Amino acid sequence: MLRLEGLRAGYGPIEALRGLDLEVQQGELVCLLGANGAGKSSTLRTISGLLRPRAGRIVFDGAEIQGRDPSDVLRAGIAHCPEGRRVFPYLTVRENLAMGAYVRRDGAAIAADLERVYAHFPILADRRRQAAGTLSGGEQQMLAIGRALMARPRLILFDEPSLGLAPTVVETTFEIIADIRRDGTTVLMVEQNARLALRMADRGYVMESGRIVLSGAARNLLADDHVRAAYLGG
Amino acid sequence: MEQLLQHLVNGLVLGGTYALLGIGLTLIFGLMSVVNFAHGEFYTLGAYAAFAALAWAGLPFVAALLAAIAAGALLGALCERALLRPLRGHSIDTIMLVMIGVWIAMQNAELLAWGGVARSIPHPFPTAPLTLGPLNIAPLRLFVVLTAAALIGLAWLLIQKTRLGTAMRATFQDRDTAALMGVPIGRIHTITFAFGSALAAAAGALLGPVFLAYPSMGDLASLKAFSVVILGGLGNLAGATLGGLLLGVAEELGAGYVSSGYRDAVGFVAIILVLLFRPAGLFARAERIG
Repeated sequence: MLRLEGLRAGYGPIEALRGLDLEVQQGELVCLLGANGAGKSSTLRTISGLLRPRAGRIVFDGAEIQGRDPSDVLRAGIAHCPEGRRVFPYLTVRENLAMGAYVRRDGAAIAADLERVYAHFPILADRRRQAAGTLSGGEQQMLAIGRALMARPRLILFDEPSLGLAPTVVETTFEIIADIRRDGTTVLMVEQNARLALRMADRGYVMESGRIVLSGAARNLLADDHVRAAYLGG
Repeated sequence: MEQLLQHLVNGLVLGGTYALLGIGLTLIFGLMSVVNFAHGEFYTLGAYAAFAALAWAGLPFVAALLAAIAAGALLGALCERALLRPLRGHSIDTIMLVMIGVWIAMQNAELLAWGGVARSIPHPFPTAPLTLGPLNIAPLRLFVVLTAAALIGLAWLLIQKTRLGTAMRATFQDRDTAALMGVPIGRIHTITFAFGSALAAAAGALLGPVFLAYPSMGDLASLKAFSVVILGGLGNLAGATLGGLLLGVAEELGAGYVSSGYRDAVGFVAIILVLLFRPAGLFARAERIG
């Protein structure tokens, strides 16, 4: 479904991605592991068009999408749930969700999807008129996920969904992501909590200095000595 | 007491147009981080567009106002596309210098086109003031304050209640995430600059007939607009509205009770006080558009 080939990207003189190859199959949940600064977020930002690649290809459903605007990538079916949730703090919950469907024009279906998000996250329905900045961290995460779903993506990119959340909320968040995948949406996830991520993922990639250094079935990575030593705390 | 009321009314007339100027500037500043030194030139453009429409084309006053708004929006959009879009991502200082250039270029173009002589803009309103109880107000001034109020209301509706306005607020709050939602940031910038410039042009077309049109009239308008933004807080629409009204009233009171020579000084003293004691603006909640 998604294939990255020899992807290079960076910020000014800094090269964040140095020839990255990665593949996600339809229906999979794939996680991308690596230390801080390995290039995980840059990978997602390059896929979604926030960062322009210097070389390489991004193929989604057979079409090359590298270097396209974020709105085109979203229309093609890839939503990006950014690191740190990044809800619009002064927009209401409802306005945030409406922003998720910004590129859509099918009013009736948008309204139905809004109700579906509210049904899935009743707390968001209760707070629909509240400014998103007043929500707790866990509620903001639900809003960020709900907002990404409002685009009706076929592939969602999650960047550090557990970052800064209380342990119980982390668990809920991962359950939600598992639900999303069960409903047929493909997931590519960057996550610092490698153990939790690998437990729910089908496959994983390990990134170091802008390249993939290891990949394989999630259970094999969980047992891998290098992964255990570097990312699972021994 | 009656005198005070009269000053307040006059202050609101002035303040309504200051609010229009301030809203335009605060939107551009807040959303695009562009310190728009040319803002006052769009005010001048509006005054001259109204002059041309009234004195030359013989259009009705409302049509002249619409022509001024259209001219401001058009030149604003052009300015954004031609100058600001290629500079996106450059430092705020670079963009500031470019806007100073636009200011100088526009003002001299106006001087070239219209000459240095001040022109009085004809208007169809009777000059005899309306008497409402203890108050006297010229019909033109009444029209100015009502139109300013209507335009402020429309601006508020656009920002708060439309899909475009929501996208503008989202872009202000978090540009990258707005882009991820599919908001075309470039187009939002063009629209914002055109919209802000149109409001400045509307202010010029409204206040031009009250005073006179001359090529350097924008300088003082720019200063007032910056004052209003400082009073109201960056990106704060309600703050700019209240700040504009407050500045107008303060100037009018200063002119009435101290000396009319100090009219502009009163406003700037108020700004200095605000900067000293409430540097984030009088109405600062957080920095926001809306």
